[in-house]
Amino acid sequence: MAVLEVSNLTKRFGDVLAVDDLSFAVAPGEIFGFLGGNGAGKTTTLRMVLDIIRPTSGTITILGSGPDRRNAAAIGFLPEERGLYSGMSAIETIVYFGKLKGMDAATARSRGMDLLARFDLADRAKSDIGDMSKGMAQKVQLATSLVNEPELLMLDEPFSGLDPVNQGLLQNEILSASQRGAAVIFSTHVMQHAERLCDRLLLLRKGRKRFEGTLEQARAELPASLIAVSKADMGGVPGVADAKPVGQPDGEWREWDVKLAPGVAPETVLEHCSANGVALRRWDERRASLHDVFVQLVGGEGVEK
Amino acid sequence: MMNNVLLVATREFKQILAMKSFWLTLLILPVALALGPILGETLADEDATRVTVVDRSGGSAAAALEARFGFEDDGETLRSLSRYVQRYDLAAADPQAPWAQHDRWYTPADVAAFRQAGGLDGALEKIERVRPEGVPQFEPDSPSYAFLPAPAELDGLDGAAFADAAQDLFDSDADDAPEIVVLVGANYPADPRVGLYSANQPRASFVATMQEVLTGDLRSRLLAERGISGAEAVAIQTAAPAIAVTTPPPGGGAREALLVRSIVPLALSYILMMSLMLSGSWMLQGSVEERSNKLLESLLACITPEELMYGKLLGALTVGLLMIAVWAGCAAAAAYATQGVISDMIRPALEPVSSPGIILAILYFFIAGYIGISALFVAVGAMVDSMSEAQGYLMPILLAILLPITFLLQAVLAGREGLIVQVLTWVPLWTPFAVLARLGMGIETWVLVGSGALLAAAIALEMIFIGRLFRASLLATGQKPTLKRVLGRFRPQAH
Repeated sequence: MAVLEVSNLTKRFGDVLAVDDLSFAVAPGEIFGFLGGNGAGKTTTLRMVLDIIRPTSGTITILGSGPDRRNAAAIGFLPEERGLYSGMSAIETIVYFGKLKGMDAATARSRGMDLLARFDLADRAKSDIGDMSKGMAQKVQLATSLVNEPELLMLDEPFSGLDPVNQGLLQNEILSASQRGAAVIFSTHVMQHAERLCDRLLLLRKGRKRFEGTLEQARAELPASLIAVSKADMGGVPGVADAKPVGQPDGEWREWDVKLAPGVAPETVLEHCSANGVALRRWDERRASLHDVFVQLVGGEGVEK
Repeated sequence: MMNNVLLVATREFKQILAMKSFWLTLLILPVALALGPILGETLADEDATRVTVVDRSGGSAAAALEARFGFEDDGETLRSLSRYVQRYDLAAADPQAPWAQHDRWYTPADVAAFRQAGGLDGALEKIERVRPEGVPQFEPDSPSYAFLPAPAELDGLDGAAFADAAQDLFDSDADDAPEIVVLVGANYPADPRVGLYSANQPRASFVATMQEVLTGDLRSRLLAERGISGAEAVAIQTAAPAIAVTTPPPGGGAREALLVRSIVPLALSYILMMSLMLSGSWMLQGSVEERSNKLLESLLACITPEELMYGKLLGALTVGLLMIAVWAGCAAAAAYATQGVISDMIRPALEPVSSPGIILAILYFFIAGYIGISALFVAVGAMVDSMSEAQGYLMPILLAILLPITFLLQAVLAGREGLIVQVLTWVPLWTPFAVLARLGMGIETWVLVGSGALLAAAIALEMIFIGRLFRASLLATGQKPTLKRVLGRFRPQAH
């Protein structure tokens, strides 16, 4: 059973259509990337899942029931805009949020201390948030979202503002939550993180789903290209949409910049060449990056490689 | 839901208790109340006004003046002692003594009898024998005037030279320098002019008494000159009606009683106002912090906006009740420490607020007032991103609450229950203050119940509308809350 199931979700703010007929599901242990530019509807969707705002239409099912604060015990959430009470200590903050999620104080404290130790903040447990650096406070906030060992972990732009060391730490936490069986959704516009972590991806543009699937499936959305050094004219090979010679020929050999027809896999063309005696000296597949896919499907605005 | 409300309330409560301003404010009131009487006593001018009479007519005018002012002081002491005896029921010490009889305005004969019987010392000796433990000792007021012998600097001077010499004495600031100089000329009473020189504006009572004494003296001399014997002249001069007086016992007079009965209710109303303003502004700081630190989304992922709002209100209410408990504790400690004096005042003051029904009414109006007004602070806190922005919204709200309450407290102090007091009783924004303040004057049961019911209905409506505003405003950071937007947020909406 999916931990989170969203069906035909639509949200309008007056005349603005923020989320348009969105459907997806996230399974236990799955890391699900929620990608889109600014204003794509990522945060609005997450807020609807959390019942902070209500959908105009459509349904949301979390662990078999509708969105409700009663699910808070099973959910961990890290918002994009982060902040904590400056006058509370790190451990008090974690315990407070743990209790708001229905935990007893002792368990929340014990798990909070474990998390702080993992984040190298054990010695700052009693320090006020106001006395901590921004990076430290961000780690404390991450701890507040993990303290209840959630079955559904939702992270809104979790990597923004983190240094490379802390990005690695967060990455480990995401992987470990997934290994524990939690469904992890994170929104980002940094494609590198999504490529590295996500089992599946959803690309949003102006509230509408443009793609959902694995990274490989995403790459397959764009025609493959490759560099081949061949004696034959690659333009005549079946499955090749376009082939342009590059540089000067080396005797009979010539380098070709080859674009395959949409949906044609490079290995299919290679197989054809072998079977039909097309001599090849070099065969370099250039795989489309997620960034390329994103730019193609969503547009390049507000996206980082 | 209740658990989350309590968690939010506890956090709010702890946050406010962690503020230095909370502790400062909590302690300022008792310290100020304790210092008030001490400063009052220190600053009060209890020294007698020093008077010198330069009598160049033979000395009888000076003697008459000194005797009269001494007599006035003794009369004042007698009246004061009489009220003390009446208040503590000590007449058994000497039922025939004038100070044990409270049925008349004391005549010179009474004062003379008082003096005859040993004056204040004689009376206190008798009273001491019957004074029960716990009854404070009588503390007489200091005499109003002290008469000093004429200083040598004024000898032989007249006119402007006398005035200059008198002024030099006033300017000298010496402890034994006179503050008032009276000059009776050598040709008095043939030349009836009497000079009065004073360092400050003399009290009207001093001038009136001096005029009365000198007029009596002058007329006695004139009567004597016309063949009326001295004794007859004095009898004519001192003839006075005997005025029978019926006064309520101390603390029992209509105006005095009203004031005493209204002390606690007025204090309750004032304390409600003060603690509301304070805890409201602390709560506002917390709300602004939540918005400016962008932690609302984290909170709203765990709890509903309603739980957050009710938690804040409960937190503020708890802070208010704590402040009042501390202040009441300080008052009780002061009453215990000073035993007779304050507790004697507090007993009649507590009378109008000591029945179970009134105590329930106080609790109801106090709590309702707290919730009703705190909700306005919550609403402001939900709309603004900074304290400076909050000030802009708070100012009109505070003025709307505080100004009418100022008029209300003054009206109640003056014992008036006019239109303004009636209106304020029935407008829910001011109902808690008006009802609490009026408890001492006596408030009809139907008004109490009716205004209480109206207040409850108004708070229920307020919760609905402010709940909508709170929910709609929480995540609208960065949006300037224009009137149109705010009105829009009052409408029901699916988040």
